[in-house]
Amino acid sequence: MSVKHGLLALLERGPMYGYQLRAAFDSATGGTWPLNIGQVYTTLSRLERDDLVAALPENEGQRPYEITAQGRTELKRWFASPVQRSDRPRDEVAIKLALAITTPGVDVAKVVMTQRTATMRTLQEYTRLKTQPGDLPWLLVLDAMIFQAEAELRWLDHCEASLLRYEPRAVPETTDVEVPR
Amino acid sequence: MTVLELRGVHRVHGTGDTAVTALDDVSLAVEPGELVAVMGPSGSGKSTLLNLAGGLDSPTSGQVLVDGTSLQSLSRKKLAAWRRRRIGYVFQDLNLIASLTAAENVALPLDLDGVRKSRRQAEQALSEVDLDGYADRFPDEMSGGQQQRVAIARALIGERRLVLADEPTGALDSRTGETVLRLLRSKVDAGAAAVLVTHDARHAAWADRVIFLRDGVVVDVSTRDQPEELLSTP
Repeated sequence: MSVKHGLLALLERGPMYGYQLRAAFDSATGGTWPLNIGQVYTTLSRLERDDLVAALPENEGQRPYEITAQGRTELKRWFASPVQRSDRPRDEVAIKLALAITTPGVDVAKVVMTQRTATMRTLQEYTRLKTQPGDLPWLLVLDAMIFQAEAELRWLDHCEASLLRYEPRAVPETTDVEVPR
Repeated sequence: MTVLELRGVHRVHGTGDTAVTALDDVSLAVEPGELVAVMGPSGSGKSTLLNLAGGLDSPTSGQVLVDGTSLQSLSRKKLAAWRRRRIGYVFQDLNLIASLTAAENVALPLDLDGVRKSRRQAEQALSEVDLDGYADRFPDEMSGGQQQRVAIARALIGERRLVLADEPTGALDSRTGETVLRLLRSKVDAGAAAVLVTHDARHAAWADRVIFLRDGVVVDVSTRDQPEELLSTP
């Protein structure tokens, strides 16, 4: 997802100016995606350039923006398309572990354990947030983070079990080692 | 006062060549208001730990103390009473007695101790798990989730200081499972101590501390960050 589509979705509720958009974005993502006001204005000017939003007359020193018909079409298209795996950031933990295995002198089990402790802590924090009252959209964002942390823990368990059986293959001198993407 | 303490506990099953070490020098203290989760693969010693904590099994060496009293120092009869009064158990198979109503199941530990007005306490405990009006139902007249909550009410009734739960959300769907964990959490927040054995990280995350066991040894401990630690995190 881009900030662009986030702002379009928020403007579908009605015209808003920069600070209002930032506050609404913050509340929609439960503070998990902090946005600075500079990013909001840069995105708004790009959206305006592409005719997806239009600036309204200034009101008490604030310039509200509204979504255009073209912006609405783009928003619909966005909601109708799935998020592709390739649009997501790479999994740094997986890459780090793959490198740990192939780097001499690294205690891979320790890497796994350190990560597991950290991810477990994160999961505990998210779970504690669940005990506080919240609206459904925020709770679902929180659940998404909880399920992702849980998946990572399961994968780390799997790594640990696999490492116990792992016998490194002899690697030729000159290698084109491919790190799984 | 520390509610549960394991001091250098070893538990070996069998003897000689066939001896299997289930727990190897495990020490653990659980304080009032603390929920500790124990995770680990099958055969890592999770259930052994819970059985020892509940006085259902004895260590080969080391000590298990509940409220400062060593369980091994108690006679069998005293141990049974001690368990009944101070320790609540929630197991995956609920062990509800089919011929007793929900209230009778919940009141059973009190009845065995000759406590008067156990019925009223049982109704109160059922109310705490949102089962008002279910007191006179039999287990087979209730859903799995409701039966699980009866088992929880039975574990939490009276002045139990220690609650031991072995995969308490076993056969439940994730929503009902979460309700069970919320109940456990609120009992702990009210001052009890609890140990939760689970293979599910999402459930373990309700705990203040998560202990990982492998081959009977504690390999890792994850403590929930204190707010001040979180604030200092960039």
